[in-house]
Amino acid sequence: MRGAVAAGRQRHLRRDESENTIRDVAQFTISGHDFELDRDRVEDAVGRQLPDPVREHYVVVHGRRYPPKQVISCATGLDRADFTTHQARRVLMRLGFQAARVTHEQNPPEATGEGPYGGRQAAALAPFVGKWVALASPTDVLVAADTPQEVLGWLARHNRRASYGMFRVPASLYEAEGLAPQ
Amino acid sequence: MRFEFLELPGETSALLRPVVPVQVEDLEDAPQLCLIDTGATTNRFGMWLAEATGIDLSGAPESTIRVGGVSTTARHTRADLTVAGVRYDAPVTFCDPWPFAFNLLGQEGFLRFFRLTVCAAESWLELEPER
Repeated sequence: MRGAVAAGRQRHLRRDESENTIRDVAQFTISGHDFELDRDRVEDAVGRQLPDPVREHYVVVHGRRYPPKQVISCATGLDRADFTTHQARRVLMRLGFQAARVTHEQNPPEATGEGPYGGRQAAALAPFVGKWVALASPTDVLVAADTPQEVLGWLARHNRRASYGMFRVPASLYEAEGLAPQ
Repeated sequence: MRFEFLELPGETSALLRPVVPVQVEDLEDAPQLCLIDTGATTNRFGMWLAEATGIDLSGAPESTIRVGGVSTTARHTRADLTVAGVRYDAPVTFCDPWPFAFNLLGQEGFLRFFRLTVCAAESWLELEPER
Protein backbone atom coordinates (compact mmCIF):
# COMPACT_ATOMS: atom_id res chain seq x y z
CA MET A 1 0.00 0.00 0.00
CA ARG A 2 1.28 3.44 -0.86
CA GLY A 3 1.95 6.06 1.75
CA ALA A 4 -0.76 5.76 4.34
CA VAL A 5 -1.32 8.96 6.30
CA ALA A 6 -2.99 9.03 9.65
CA ALA A 7 -3.44 12.70 10.23
CA GLY A 8 -4.09 14.44 13.49
CA ARG A 9 -4.81 11.39 15.56
CA GLN A 10 -2.95 12.81 18.49
CA ARG A 11 -3.19 16.53 18.48
CA HIS A 12 -1.86 18.26 21.53
CA LEU A 13 -0.25 21.39 22.82
CA ARG A 14 3.45 21.30 23.37
CA ARG A 15 5.49 23.74 25.39
CA ASP A 16 8.47 25.10 23.56
CA GLU A 17 10.80 25.97 26.41
CA SER A 18 13.25 27.85 24.25
CA GLU A 19 10.72 30.41 23.18
CA ASN A 20 8.52 30.19 26.25
CA THR A 21 5.49 29.68 24.05
CA ILE A 22 2.96 26.93 23.63
CA ARG A 23 2.86 25.54 20.10
CA ASP A 24 0.04 23.55 18.59
CA VAL A 25 1.78 20.38 17.43
CA ALA A 26 0.09 17.55 15.61
CA GLN A 27 1.39 14.04 15.08
CA PHE A 28 1.07 12.39 11.73
CA THR A 29 2.00 9.05 10.33
CA ILE A 30 3.08 9.38 6.73
CA SER A 31 4.26 6.40 4.78
CA GLY A 32 4.88 4.47 7.97
CA HIS A 33 6.91 7.22 9.62
CA ASP A 34 5.72 9.27 12.59
CA PHE A 35 6.16 13.02 12.47
CA GLU A 36 5.36 15.89 14.77
CA LEU A 37 4.54 18.90 12.70
CA ASP A 38 3.30 22.36 13.33
CA ARG A 39 2.80 25.35 11.13
CA ASP A 40 6.05 27.08 12.10
CA ARG A 41 8.08 23.96 11.47
CA VAL A 42 6.59 23.56 8.03
CA GLU A 43 7.18 27.20 7.18
CA ASP A 44 10.78 26.97 8.37
CA ALA A 45 11.36 23.83 6.32
CA VAL A 46 10.04 25.43 3.16
CA GLY A 47 12.19 28.46 3.90
CA ARG A 48 13.25 30.25 0.76
CA GLN A 49 12.67 27.35 -1.61
CA LEU A 50 11.06 28.41 -4.83
CA PRO A 51 7.70 26.82 -5.53
CA ASP A 52 7.67 24.03 -8.08
CA PRO A 53 5.13 24.37 -10.88
CA VAL A 54 1.58 23.93 -9.61
CA ARG A 55 -0.41 21.52 -11.72
CA GLU A 56 -3.71 21.21 -9.92
CA HIS A 57 -3.56 21.49 -6.14
CA TYR A 58 -1.63 24.01 -4.11
CA VAL A 59 -1.20 25.26 -0.55
CA VAL A 60 -0.20 28.76 0.44
CA VAL A 61 3.03 29.06 2.46
CA HIS A 62 4.71 32.41 3.08
CA GLY A 63 2.12 33.92 0.76
CA ARG A 64 3.19 31.74 -2.19
CA ARG A 65 1.57 28.76 -3.83
CA TYR A 66 3.35 25.44 -3.51
CA PRO A 67 2.46 21.92 -4.61
CA PRO A 68 1.41 20.13 -1.39
CA LYS A 69 3.86 17.28 -1.99
CA GLN A 70 6.78 19.69 -2.20
CA VAL A 71 5.89 21.17 1.18
CA ILE A 72 5.48 17.82 2.94
CA SER A 73 8.65 16.53 1.37
CA CYS A 74 10.54 19.58 2.69
CA ALA A 75 9.04 19.25 6.15
CA THR A 76 9.58 15.50 6.54
CA GLY A 77 12.45 14.63 4.24
CA LEU A 78 10.30 11.94 2.65
CA ASP A 79 10.51 11.19 -1.04
CA ARG A 80 7.55 12.62 -2.90
CA ALA A 81 6.81 9.20 -4.34
CA ASP A 82 6.06 7.93 -0.83
CA PHE A 83 2.76 9.78 -0.46
CA THR A 84 0.01 11.29 -2.54
CA THR A 85 -1.01 14.87 -3.16
CA HIS A 86 -4.28 14.21 -1.39
CA GLN A 87 -2.49 12.96 1.70
CA ALA A 88 -0.11 15.92 1.75
CA ARG A 89 -2.96 18.32 1.28
CA ARG A 90 -4.93 16.82 4.15
CA VAL A 91 -1.99 17.13 6.55
CA LEU A 92 -1.34 20.73 5.59
CA MET A 93 -4.97 21.72 5.88
CA ARG A 94 -5.02 20.27 9.39
CA LEU A 95 -2.09 22.52 10.20
CA GLY A 96 -4.08 25.50 9.03
CA PHE A 97 -2.62 26.13 5.60
CA GLN A 98 -4.94 27.35 2.91
CA ALA A 99 -5.30 24.75 0.20
CA ALA A 100 -7.04 25.12 -3.12
CA ARG A 101 -7.23 23.82 -6.62
CA VAL A 102 -6.15 25.74 -9.69
CA THR A 103 -9.09 26.93 -11.71
CA HIS A 104 -9.32 28.69 -15.01
CA GLU A 105 -10.58 31.75 -13.17
CA GLN A 106 -7.04 32.21 -11.95
CA ASN A 107 -6.23 33.88 -15.20
CA PRO A 108 -5.38 37.58 -15.17
CA PRO A 109 -7.93 40.05 -13.93
CA GLU A 110 -10.13 41.96 -16.30
CA ALA A 111 -8.71 44.89 -18.18
CA THR A 112 -9.09 47.96 -16.03
CA GLY A 113 -6.51 50.39 -17.30
CA GLU A 114 -4.42 51.64 -20.15
CA GLY A 115 -1.64 49.89 -21.95
CA PRO A 116 -1.44 47.10 -24.49
CA TYR A 117 -2.85 44.57 -22.03
CA GLY A 118 -5.35 46.88 -20.37
CA GLY A 119 -3.46 46.78 -17.08
CA ARG A 120 -3.55 42.97 -16.84
CA GLN A 121 0.21 42.65 -17.17
CA ALA A 122 0.87 45.30 -14.53
CA ALA A 123 -1.57 43.51 -12.21
CA ALA A 124 0.13 40.17 -12.81
CA LEU A 125 3.53 41.68 -12.01
CA ALA A 126 2.46 43.73 -9.01
CA PRO A 127 3.03 40.97 -6.41
CA PHE A 128 6.62 40.60 -7.59
CA VAL A 129 8.00 44.12 -7.33
CA GLY A 130 11.75 43.93 -6.76
CA LYS A 131 11.94 40.28 -7.81
CA TRP A 132 13.39 38.65 -10.87
CA VAL A 133 10.58 37.06 -12.84
CA ALA A 134 10.30 34.70 -15.80
CA LEU A 135 7.17 34.90 -17.87
CA ALA A 136 5.69 32.32 -20.21
CA SER A 137 3.34 34.95 -21.64
CA PRO A 138 2.68 38.63 -20.94
CA THR A 139 0.62 37.76 -17.86
CA ASP A 140 1.85 34.28 -16.89
CA VAL A 141 4.60 34.53 -14.26
CA LEU A 142 6.35 31.17 -14.07
CA VAL A 143 8.67 31.97 -11.20
CA ALA A 144 9.83 34.91 -9.10
CA ALA A 145 13.07 34.97 -7.12
CA ASP A 146 15.59 37.30 -5.54
CA THR A 147 18.34 36.60 -8.06
CA PRO A 148 18.50 35.86 -11.79
CA GLN A 149 20.55 32.75 -11.03
CA GLU A 150 17.68 31.33 -8.99
CA VAL A 151 15.30 31.97 -11.88
CA LEU A 152 17.61 30.25 -14.38
CA GLY A 153 18.08 27.31 -12.02
CA TRP A 154 14.35 26.91 -11.60
CA LEU A 155 13.73 26.98 -15.35
CA ALA A 156 16.42 24.35 -15.91
CA ARG A 157 15.20 22.08 -13.09
CA HIS A 158 11.64 22.12 -14.33
CA ASN A 159 12.43 22.17 -18.01
CA ARG A 160 10.36 25.31 -18.52
CA ARG A 161 10.88 28.15 -20.94
CA ALA A 162 10.26 31.82 -20.25
CA SER A 163 8.98 32.45 -23.75
CA TYR A 164 8.04 36.04 -23.04
CA GLY A 165 11.27 36.85 -21.21
CA MET A 166 12.81 37.52 -17.83
CA PHE A 167 13.71 40.70 -16.01
CA ARG A 168 13.53 42.31 -12.58
CA VAL A 169 10.29 44.07 -11.81
CA PRO A 170 11.32 47.64 -10.96
CA ALA A 171 10.61 48.71 -7.42
CA SER A 172 10.24 52.37 -8.25
CA LEU A 173 9.58 54.82 -11.02
CA TYR A 174 13.31 55.55 -11.17
CA GLU A 175 14.12 51.92 -11.80
CA ALA A 176 11.41 51.69 -14.44
CA GLU A 177 13.14 54.55 -16.21
CA GLY A 178 16.39 52.64 -16.26
CA LEU A 179 18.01 54.22 -13.24
CA ALA A 180 19.48 52.46 -10.24
CA PRO A 181 17.57 51.79 -7.03
CA GLN A 182 17.75 54.71 -4.62
CA MET B 1 8.27 42.40 -35.94
CA ARG B 2 6.04 44.22 -33.50
CA PHE B 3 6.47 44.28 -29.72
CA GLU B 4 3.96 45.68 -27.27
CA PHE B 5 5.35 47.87 -24.52
CA LEU B 6 5.83 46.24 -21.14
CA GLU B 7 3.27 47.21 -18.52
CA LEU B 8 4.81 47.73 -15.11
CA PRO B 9 2.89 48.22 -11.90
CA GLY B 10 2.78 51.91 -11.00
CA GLU B 11 1.28 53.85 -8.12
CA THR B 12 -1.68 55.20 -10.02
CA SER B 13 -1.50 53.54 -13.41
CA ALA B 14 0.66 51.13 -15.36
CA LEU B 15 4.10 52.35 -16.50
CA LEU B 16 4.74 51.49 -20.12
CA ARG B 17 8.27 50.71 -21.23
CA PRO B 18 9.71 49.89 -24.68
CA VAL B 19 11.40 46.53 -24.20
CA VAL B 20 12.52 43.75 -26.50
CA PRO B 21 13.29 40.12 -25.64
CA VAL B 22 16.92 39.31 -26.35
CA GLN B 23 18.42 35.85 -26.34
CA VAL B 24 22.02 36.07 -25.18
CA GLU B 25 24.23 33.38 -26.73
CA ASP B 26 22.36 30.07 -26.34
CA LEU B 27 20.23 30.99 -23.36
CA GLU B 28 17.06 30.01 -25.20
CA ASP B 29 14.95 29.33 -22.14
CA ALA B 30 15.29 32.80 -20.74
CA PRO B 31 15.37 35.69 -23.18
CA GLN B 32 16.14 38.94 -21.40
CA LEU B 33 13.66 41.79 -21.59
CA CYS B 34 15.92 44.70 -22.47
CA LEU B 35 15.08 48.38 -22.43
CA ILE B 36 15.73 50.26 -25.63
CA ASP B 37 17.96 53.23 -24.83
CA THR B 38 18.53 55.32 -27.92
CA GLY B 39 21.00 57.46 -26.00
CA ALA B 40 23.28 54.56 -25.07
CA THR B 41 26.28 53.95 -27.28
CA THR B 42 26.51 50.22 -26.64
CA ASN B 43 24.51 47.38 -25.15
CA ARG B 44 25.02 47.22 -21.41
CA PHE B 45 24.18 44.00 -19.59
CA GLY B 46 24.65 42.74 -16.07
CA MET B 47 27.81 40.74 -15.50
CA TRP B 48 25.78 37.77 -14.26
CA LEU B 49 24.65 37.18 -17.85
CA ALA B 50 28.22 36.61 -19.01
CA GLU B 51 28.69 34.09 -16.21
CA ALA B 52 25.35 32.40 -16.94
CA THR B 53 26.14 32.00 -20.62
CA GLY B 54 29.79 31.06 -20.27
CA ILE B 55 31.24 34.10 -21.96
CA ASP B 56 34.92 34.29 -21.14
CA LEU B 57 35.77 37.79 -20.04
CA SER B 58 39.40 37.12 -19.22
CA GLY B 59 41.41 39.46 -21.35
CA ALA B 60 38.40 41.61 -22.16
CA PRO B 61 39.19 45.31 -21.99
CA GLU B 62 37.99 46.85 -18.75
CA SER B 63 36.99 50.34 -17.80
CA THR B 64 35.04 52.18 -15.16
CA ILE B 65 31.93 53.92 -16.42
CA ARG B 66 28.95 55.67 -14.90
CA VAL B 67 25.48 54.52 -15.84
CA GLY B 68 22.39 56.13 -14.37
CA GLY B 69 24.43 57.68 -11.60
CA VAL B 70 26.16 54.41 -10.71
CA SER B 71 29.87 53.77 -11.10
CA THR B 72 30.42 50.30 -12.50
CA THR B 73 33.21 48.14 -13.86
CA ALA B 74 32.60 47.46 -17.55
CA ARG B 75 34.10 44.57 -19.53
CA HIS B 76 33.90 45.05 -23.27
CA THR B 77 33.48 42.01 -25.50
CA ARG B 78 31.26 40.55 -28.19
CA ALA B 79 28.36 38.12 -27.87
CA ASP B 80 25.81 36.41 -30.06
CA LEU B 81 22.41 38.03 -29.61
CA THR B 82 19.11 36.90 -31.09
CA VAL B 83 16.49 39.59 -31.53
CA ALA B 84 13.28 39.25 -33.55
CA GLY B 85 14.53 35.94 -34.90
CA VAL B 86 17.82 37.39 -36.12
CA ARG B 87 21.06 36.11 -34.60
CA TYR B 88 24.03 38.41 -34.88
CA ASP B 89 27.39 39.11 -33.33
CA ALA B 90 27.22 42.28 -31.28
CA PRO B 91 29.46 44.37 -29.10
CA VAL B 92 28.31 44.06 -25.52
CA THR B 93 29.51 45.64 -22.30
CA PHE B 94 29.01 43.50 -19.21
CA CYS B 95 28.88 45.55 -16.03
CA ASP B 96 29.32 44.85 -12.34
CA PRO B 97 27.61 46.08 -10.31
CA TRP B 98 24.46 46.28 -12.39
CA PRO B 99 21.67 47.25 -9.99
CA PHE B 100 19.24 48.19 -12.73
CA ALA B 101 15.97 46.46 -13.51
CA PHE B 102 16.78 46.19 -17.20
CA ASN B 103 19.69 45.49 -19.48
CA LEU B 104 20.07 48.26 -22.03
CA LEU B 105 20.09 48.08 -25.82
CA GLY B 106 22.08 50.88 -27.40
CA GLN B 107 23.35 52.13 -30.71
CA GLU B 108 26.33 49.96 -31.61
CA GLY B 109 25.01 46.57 -30.51
CA PHE B 110 21.36 47.01 -31.43
CA LEU B 111 20.19 50.05 -33.39
CA ARG B 112 23.01 49.50 -35.85
CA PHE B 113 21.34 46.20 -36.78
CA PHE B 114 17.64 47.09 -36.72
CA ARG B 115 15.41 49.86 -38.01
CA LEU B 116 13.26 50.91 -35.10
CA THR B 117 9.77 52.41 -35.24
CA VAL B 118 8.21 53.50 -31.98
CA CYS B 119 4.56 54.39 -31.46
CA ALA B 120 4.34 55.49 -27.84
CA ALA B 121 0.79 56.69 -28.39
CA GLU B 122 -0.29 53.10 -28.98
CA SER B 123 2.41 51.47 -26.84
CA TRP B 124 4.21 49.41 -29.43
CA LEU B 125 7.46 49.29 -31.36
CA GLU B 126 8.52 47.54 -34.51
CA LEU B 127 11.89 46.17 -35.53
CA GLU B 128 13.04 45.55 -39.05
CA PRO B 129 16.49 44.06 -39.63
CA GLU B 130 18.82 46.35 -41.53
CA ARG B 131 19.96 44.89 -44.81
